[in-house]
Amino acid sequence: MSRVQSGDMGAYQELIRRYQTKVYRVICGYHHDPEDAMEVLQDTFLKIYTSRDTWERRTAFAAWLYRIAINASIDRYRRRDKARKASLEDVMESQIQNSPALPPSRGPLDRLRQQERRRVLENAIRRLPRRQREVLSLRYFGEMKLDEIARALECPLGTVKSNLHKAVTSLKSLLVGQKDELSYE
Amino acid sequence: MNNCESARDLLVLFAEKELSPEQERRVKEHLALCEDCRRELSGIESVQAALSDPELFLPPGYPWQQLPRALAARAGRITPVPRWVPSNLRPLGWAASLAASVLLAVGLIQLIQRPGRVDPPAIARSVPGNGPFLRRMESQYAREATARYLNECQDLLLNLVRVEQDCEGDGHDVSAEVTRARELLQRKRMLDAELRAPDVARAKELCDELENLLVNLSTSDDCESRDKLQLMQRFIRKEQLFLRIDLLTSELS
Repeated sequence: MSRVQSGDMGAYQELIRRYQTKVYRVICGYHHDPEDAMEVLQDTFLKIYTSRDTWERRTAFAAWLYRIAINASIDRYRRRDKARKASLEDVMESQIQNSPALPPSRGPLDRLRQQERRRVLENAIRRLPRRQREVLSLRYFGEMKLDEIARALECPLGTVKSNLHKAVTSLKSLLVGQKDELSYE
Repeated sequence: MNNCESARDLLVLFAEKELSPEQERRVKEHLALCEDCRRELSGIESVQAALSDPELFLPPGYPWQQLPRALAARAGRITPVPRWVPSNLRPLGWAASLAASVLLAVGLIQLIQRPGRVDPPAIARSVPGNGPFLRRMESQYAREATARYLNECQDLLLNLVRVEQDCEGDGHDVSAEVTRARELLQRKRMLDAELRAPDVARAKELCDELENLLVNLSTSDDCESRDKLQLMQRFIRKEQLFLRIDLLTSELS
């Protein structure tokens, strides 16, 4: 990031290359439409560039980057989709119970089953309460440590731990009915 | 630890290897004795495995390798607005700016109240050093006015992409947006003088582009057809108007 601050566009590209998919997956927790998520991703990296002078060395870069991505996501989400307020329970009903029961075959349907597993899990993550979703995304997609997440979200470490616990157990409860579909073993 | 409830409170962090050695030892001891908690842990590990799927959320076939270069090219075209106050003097700069605004306001009131013809440039000439100050104030005003205008345009565009089908048939009620577009067109005419300022030159292109859209919208019927509305919405998306407005307003502020 120091090189980016001095105007090194090669370093800027390297930085995007390193973080683009991680940041995109964090953003996807807020946006169902891939085009929206992609716009927020681009917005985030352009903001990184335009605000490069405001980053300070003593601040963890990843925490700063994800904070910008989350703010951009929330901003876009609020403007775009105020009406979408489905609860976790709604997902159970609409996404899981109504999803087609695919036969437990290991043949050519495997790819479809994999896609279905992802779709169910993605929707479930999107319906988690905001703080739980943020902690979960930063942990699994941003690959951050818990203390780094606490700094990025400006909350106590205990809050991060309890939200991670709630998020994972909520997903587990939600997906338990889909055990066969979601077994990654 | 012989209490399942206490153990389960720690299972996620156990699976994450985020417990203290003492807590970890106690959970392990409990798991060795409790089949239900082992089953619970197995469920948690399944969720962790699912979350570790590298393809989760990623659109299939997206050309990620092209994104860094494309974004770098766009970022390179963004020229940060130079600060007229050094960043380490920002608090002082704000105070100075506020004081200057007050002085300017008092001066303007006096000028208005003074009888007879008043020629502001003559004042600028008569007081050495006023020129740069006035230019800075004009520049700041131009930036603020432009940013405000862009934000209002953005609000209108947001309403336009979210407009619902309220009319009979497949028409969409855009009467409020049409009225707003006409107001913004009038504002744009007043803003044209400010857009000549060098600090907002980059915004001029976008404002002109928005003006075309506003003209189009202002001539719409109150109940607009779905096709025409979608055409405008596609234009907004294609030209990335929201993103460009965000970037420009952040530059201007």
